[in-house]
Amino acid sequence: MSMFSQNPLMNGPNYSFSETPRVGAPEGAREHRFDPYTDNGGSTLAIAGADFTIMAGDTRLTSGYSINSRFHRKVFKIGGTTTDQHDAHLVLSVVGFAADGEALMERVDAMCKMYRYRHGRPISVKACAQRLSTILYNKRFFPYYAYAILGGLDEEGKGAVYSYDPVGSYEREQCRAGGAAASLIMPFLDNQVNFKNQFIPGSGEGHALQERERRPLTRQEVEVLVKDAFDGAVERHIEVGDGLQMMVITNKGIEEIILPLKRD
Amino acid sequence: MSSPFSINGGACVAMVGKDCVAIACDLRLGLQALTVSNNFPKIFQYGDNVFLGLTGLATDVNTVSDLFRWKVNMYRLREERQIAPRTFANLVSSSLYEKRFGPYFVSPVVAGLDPKTGRPFICGFDSIGCIDFAKDFIVSGTASEQLFGMCESLWEPDLDADALFETISQSLLNAVDRDALSGWGAHVYIIEKDKVTKRLLKGRQD
Amino acid sequence: MDHRPQAWGRPRDDVYGAYDGSYLNHGGPKNATQSPVVTGTSVIALKFKDGVVMAADNLASYGSLARFTDVKRLHTFHNTTILGYGGDVSDMQFLSRLILQIELHQDYELEQLPDIKAQRGQEVMQANNLFTFLKKQMYHCRNHFDPLWNQILIAGFDDERKPFLSSVDLRGTSFSAPSLATGFGAALAQPIMRKYADTEEQAAKLTREEAVEIVKECMKVLFYRDARSLDRYSIAVVTKDGIDLKENEQLEKQSWAFAERIKGYGTQTV
Repeated sequence: MSMFSQNPLMNGPNYSFSETPRVGAPEGAREHRFDPYTDNGGSTLAIAGADFTIMAGDTRLTSGYSINSRFHRKVFKIGGTTTDQHDAHLVLSVVGFAADGEALMERVDAMCKMYRYRHGRPISVKACAQRLSTILYNKRFFPYYAYAILGGLDEEGKGAVYSYDPVGSYEREQCRAGGAAASLIMPFLDNQVNFKNQFIPGSGEGHALQERERRPLTRQEVEVLVKDAFDGAVERHIEVGDGLQMMVITNKGIEEIILPLKRD
Repeated sequence: MSSPFSINGGACVAMVGKDCVAIACDLRLGLQALTVSNNFPKIFQYGDNVFLGLTGLATDVNTVSDLFRWKVNMYRLREERQIAPRTFANLVSSSLYEKRFGPYFVSPVVAGLDPKTGRPFICGFDSIGCIDFAKDFIVSGTASEQLFGMCESLWEPDLDADALFETISQSLLNAVDRDALSGWGAHVYIIEKDKVTKRLLKGRQD
Repeated sequence: MDHRPQAWGRPRDDVYGAYDGSYLNHGGPKNATQSPVVTGTSVIALKFKDGVVMAADNLASYGSLARFTDVKRLHTFHNTTILGYGGDVSDMQFLSRLILQIELHQDYELEQLPDIKAQRGQEVMQANNLFTFLKKQMYHCRNHFDPLWNQILIAGFDDERKPFLSSVDLRGTSFSAPSLATGFGAALAQPIMRKYADTEEQAAKLTREEAVEIVKECMKVLFYRDARSLDRYSIAVVTKDGIDLKENEQLEKQSWAFAERIKGYGTQTV
């Protein structure tokens, strides 16, 4: 054995020149590898009401400390029949790596169009939500680096919000914040939308306290909450600001509202 | 996760109200994801109207809180008077900077009322003593992002003592519920001219 | 004895350790440009009332060496669209050839089928269409881990005949704004351009002369502070009448008065 191998690691088939041992040199230490991702910042937010859904996102696009654009959309109407999406019934928000986000949005939109073509009716939010999860999971090992939220109205006409991680885990929720300022906004939503940590005064001691009963919020209330949530996030997160884009989905269609945010 | 600041977990927040200040902390002590204790307060009193909140590495929380107990006692003996919050803040700052190249892994918060004017005073620090004076609120700990979000949207100027208690409590409880490393109950101090109210909040136990 | 000839005459493994031939491995994704080689620096562009101005200097650097001093980095498409390339020059030439193919193909088609032109009443491909194509191309290449190492500005008009300005980079990230700048320009020129055109409304009030003046001023600032820049540059203005491209401009009205007070500019004997 020893006469065949000077190399202690090579006590098997010895090396040829096309397949040399990979020992010693740490992986990737030699070659600088291209990083296919950047984080373009920004934040999104979605709240489902009794008969409407509001999807919102700021319009700032950053890379590092640079503001690339002050008006870049990350909330999109999808599933319409035309380019201007005037008859769309779903809204998709994407935040994270903008190029992946837009590619994802275009794929989901194309999928919705194919569904309409094949079945002769628009896709339901539930079906689109499941399909979006599959699309994301299909790229499990080279993911779309995007936090997606899908909004619409369910079969009963109630507001529906589905939120995703980059590899397709998803859940239907009452509300969800995504992106750079998600951790700032989400506890606020727990408190103001789902009335978390709010109790009926004098209803008991400690854990016997009765929770404040949840009620569906009105559209006006939600619009104010969204603005307040973003005003808070803008103040404390440098990647959030410039503009607030809101999509209000009702059975009459989708209304887009653009409001200013601080630009500093 | 292996940052010394986030091994044990914990959160602290201070707020200014009308002629009053509030400071609150959670009670958790953990080792990464494992909770070891649900009775580890992070607020310490150093005078009638001077409070210090300490989050970060628990061993440093203990060390630093004891160190300041000693320093404040020495101050009282020498000066024969209580330490004022602003003086205490400068003491904290210079003491932390002494350890510039081997710092205590803590993010302190000071809250109190000025003994002469009765004006609210709050400030925060980084681990090497840079002071952040604030007119509104100071947050620290592993739930600081969540606290920023809550405080920025709930806080408003000139809250009276009761409203301030409600605001700081809601801010803390909802923030720590979105942080895996904080929670398990809370302590809230409301500091008024000649009254300090300490309340214990049960909070979610998970 | 080791009877395999490929192991003869080599440093002994027991003395020097096994031969590390990992640099010879060509497994995994194929490598075209894994890092830029000959590079162009900033490209800047600004929208105005009835068009867009764009500028870039004529330098292609090889690291810190000013290697090629007469490289045109502003290209045109159909006399309606300007493309400004920052980053790797070989990738720029690849893209340029790709776009030339489209241009020729369309010219040919229009000649063969004049009724298409009559039908649409305009050139087939507007700036926004070319931009979408480039965006997809760049994103496609990054998906194959074979990026085209550029950031590109595209200026012209969209389908609604409104001034159009967009950017796309090596990762396929794309965005639009009243003023855009790549590389150093994002830090040095953008603040100046945003002072005059922070919003689309403000940009829509700028005249052509004002816009050109602002862009020239930015080129000067870039030459002062960007070490990989040149005082020869190209400037192009696209309006509905077509493109006015000047490829051999010289920076004017430079002021080096400030240099007198700074050590290292060579005027003092230290």
